[in-house]
Amino acid sequence: MASLVIDVNDNSYTVDVEPDMPLLWVLRDVIGLTGTKYSCGIGVCGTCTVHVDGEAVQSCSLPVSEAAGKRITTIEGLSPDGTHPLQQAWLAEQVSQCGYCTPGQIMIAAALLQKNPRPSDEEIKTAMSAALCRCGTYPRVMRAIRRVAGGVG
Amino acid sequence: MKANPSLSRRDFLKVSSVAGVGLVIGLYVPACSRLESAPTDATPTPVLPTPTTAPDVFFSPNVFVNLGTDGTVTVTCPRPDMGQGTRTALPMILAEELGVDWPAIRIEQADADTAYGDQSAAGSTSIETFYMPLRKAGALARKMLVRAAADTWDVTPEACSVQHGIVTNIQTQEALPFSVLVRTAMAYDPNEFLPAELKDPKDFTIIGTSVPRVDGPDMVTGKAVYGMDVRVPDMLYAAVARCPVFRGQLISFDDSEARKVSGVVNVLEITSGSDGGRPTRSVAVLAHDTWSAIRGRDSLKVQWDEGPSASLSGDDIEKKLLEEMIYPPEDGELVAYYTVPFFSHSTMEPINSTVRLGQQDCEAWAPTQNPQALQKFITTTYGMLPDKARVHVPLVGGAFGRRIEFPSFSLTLPFVHLMESAELSKAAGVPVKVVWTRDDDMHFEYFHPLSVTRVAAALADIRSMSVQRRDASGYGIPTGAWRAVTNVPEAFARQSFVDEFAVATKQDPIELRRQMLGDRQRAVLDLAVKKSGWGSELPPGHGRGIAIHSTWDQSPCAEVAQVVVDESGRIRVLKVTCAIDCGVAINPDMVKAQLEGGIIFGLTAALKAHVTIDKGRVVQSNFHDYPLLKMNEVPEIETFVIKSTANPTGTGEMANPPVAAAVANAVYAATGKRIRRLPILPEGLVAA
Repeated sequence: MASLVIDVNDNSYTVDVEPDMPLLWVLRDVIGLTGTKYSCGIGVCGTCTVHVDGEAVQSCSLPVSEAAGKRITTIEGLSPDGTHPLQQAWLAEQVSQCGYCTPGQIMIAAALLQKNPRPSDEEIKTAMSAALCRCGTYPRVMRAIRRVAGGVG
Repeated sequence: MKANPSLSRRDFLKVSSVAGVGLVIGLYVPACSRLESAPTDATPTPVLPTPTTAPDVFFSPNVFVNLGTDGTVTVTCPRPDMGQGTRTALPMILAEELGVDWPAIRIEQADADTAYGDQSAAGSTSIETFYMPLRKAGALARKMLVRAAADTWDVTPEACSVQHGIVTNIQTQEALPFSVLVRTAMAYDPNEFLPAELKDPKDFTIIGTSVPRVDGPDMVTGKAVYGMDVRVPDMLYAAVARCPVFRGQLISFDDSEARKVSGVVNVLEITSGSDGGRPTRSVAVLAHDTWSAIRGRDSLKVQWDEGPSASLSGDDIEKKLLEEMIYPPEDGELVAYYTVPFFSHSTMEPINSTVRLGQQDCEAWAPTQNPQALQKFITTTYGMLPDKARVHVPLVGGAFGRRIEFPSFSLTLPFVHLMESAELSKAAGVPVKVVWTRDDDMHFEYFHPLSVTRVAAALADIRSMSVQRRDASGYGIPTGAWRAVTNVPEAFARQSFVDEFAVATKQDPIELRRQMLGDRQRAVLDLAVKKSGWGSELPPGHGRGIAIHSTWDQSPCAEVAQVVVDESGRIRVLKVTCAIDCGVAINPDMVKAQLEGGIIFGLTAALKAHVTIDKGRVVQSNFHDYPLLKMNEVPEIETFVIKSTANPTGTGEMANPPVAAAVANAVYAATGKRIRRLPILPEGLVAA
């Protein structure tokens, strides 16, 4: 066990956990931020994506010790009041069905737009292919991101 | 966990029947599950109990709606929402007849309770089953509230109108909101108000509008609570080691390393299902967090008896299935065989449940399609009355049949998660959440069964077409319902065969289908054909294919796929055009979402992922070897919903069955190569 300090959504948390515990489980079970979801556990589905120093990272595969000292943002901290342009676009396009992959999808899209505010459709497809959705909401994910990216195709 | 308002629906029902002031009308909804039995008449008979008293602030003329003197209007959603949108669409139906504005409605998710009728969200029946009961429930409440206003003004009910939750005296324009009328309405005997007249569908203001999904804002902010997110005080987490071979058994285990894992609290032998009445034993690790439970589980040294299925292989089963149907074609007969493999549901939220099992009572939080089945499991296993076995339904992160929990499925796998969490909670004396890892989810699935379908028809007449199918259920492999169930191989075989027949008899595939269809189906086919641009010229290597199917003989759904096959045989689906007739579309945009999702679900099955069984176990373990369709593989999708005022029929399972045949027929058009097996693989496919 180690005592680690992690910075999540501008709050500082001291957690006593094994240093190799993935960030995902620290967020969900230790801190209680359950917006970040578990699905594959091996970093292939994108569902658990958070931002670490602004980069989209699959939190199921990142030992918490490597996240210590870095700035972590989860879906709960993406915007103070749920009005990030992507969150609004997701509602405008009625993207979510079961909604389980939604937080990870939005976090991947937010990191993309942070780096590339006007991505092409191909760039959106490439970035978003890191996220799986079993309900099949991809066409609406595309439309929501295009809506924020200014309709550049 | 879901916030519990001061008085829950269930508490209210209990209180009202004891305290006795208001009106509680049970609407009987007949159990109707196409997967277990033939559909029964879905029109309910209202069952009126003796008027009883109620708490002084609520008017609840039936179990679905509750109006408060404070202006609140709460509608209870009887069926789970796993993405298909019941929590939005079902309350819309009631709100329409009640006469309130949609934003005024609060939604409460029903716990398991027979008072709601059949709560199993299965067979695309939720809208169809509850359309009339919820309309009647809303209309009855409206009628009683109108009488309350009429009596107040000493006019007839006909002299009143209802809009926006307000009753207006047409002559004087005096107005009274429902909240003010609640106390008066509570005193009436609902028997005197039956039947309550329903609105003319042309006057609908909520039904037929695309109101946003009620849980959308919570989903995009991470506030939405799924089963996996339920947190109960003092809860422990559990991961379970189960025999990887179907029908295998536990011999012994060494937990010395597991117990050393930090965070692990205990290791216990438990039951994870049964096989022919014999409990299937497994080993559970309880810990303070999920990760420690999984690490502990992975540190167990377990010896398994692999049992009678250790040499089972899917290939062997397929050979047997085929052998059972090998007989030569008759003269002038066209015969073809079609093979569909095992599929996994692979819901994004893995299987889990949380249970607090006390001495006298039990509380469960389960992402399920069938809360009543779980409640029944608890009451029968632990000898409790239903009101002591509370099953709460959080949001469900996908289901597709995986969470139906029908006990009839082989090896009783449906209940395993609850069996495990209940037994562990009893042993530990605290609430326990059992989490299945992705590997667990894939290995301890019940699969869509591998099947072989033989289709035959005399070349002289397509109407002589006969279909026979054998599938892998009954071979010791757990199989069960998977979105649209048998409609998946049925549509693939039939609609591929019709194309083969058209080629063999030099007929146009569209005209041939038109001859086979009734008016409703033909209109759907014609719409898809027209919207797809069928018949226009395509570049070399491209092809179009069509298929039409009515899952459960409900909503006919036609799809045209356009594909391109490159020199290496790689298939890309460029576009799918889809048309459906589902009667009145309660929420047209959510119908479209179901169609888009169904098409993509069907494309994963047609082109990408399948399960193979070897040595009595599942070969695949996660999304790297069970690859779902990704964003960069999704075609353009266009959906068209036929305008109708007919009673609604389902949409959740309508769009996935036709896709594979539409794509296979398009591949034939592009390459001249006939596809008779899913998934469609590039080998041997070269553009014509």
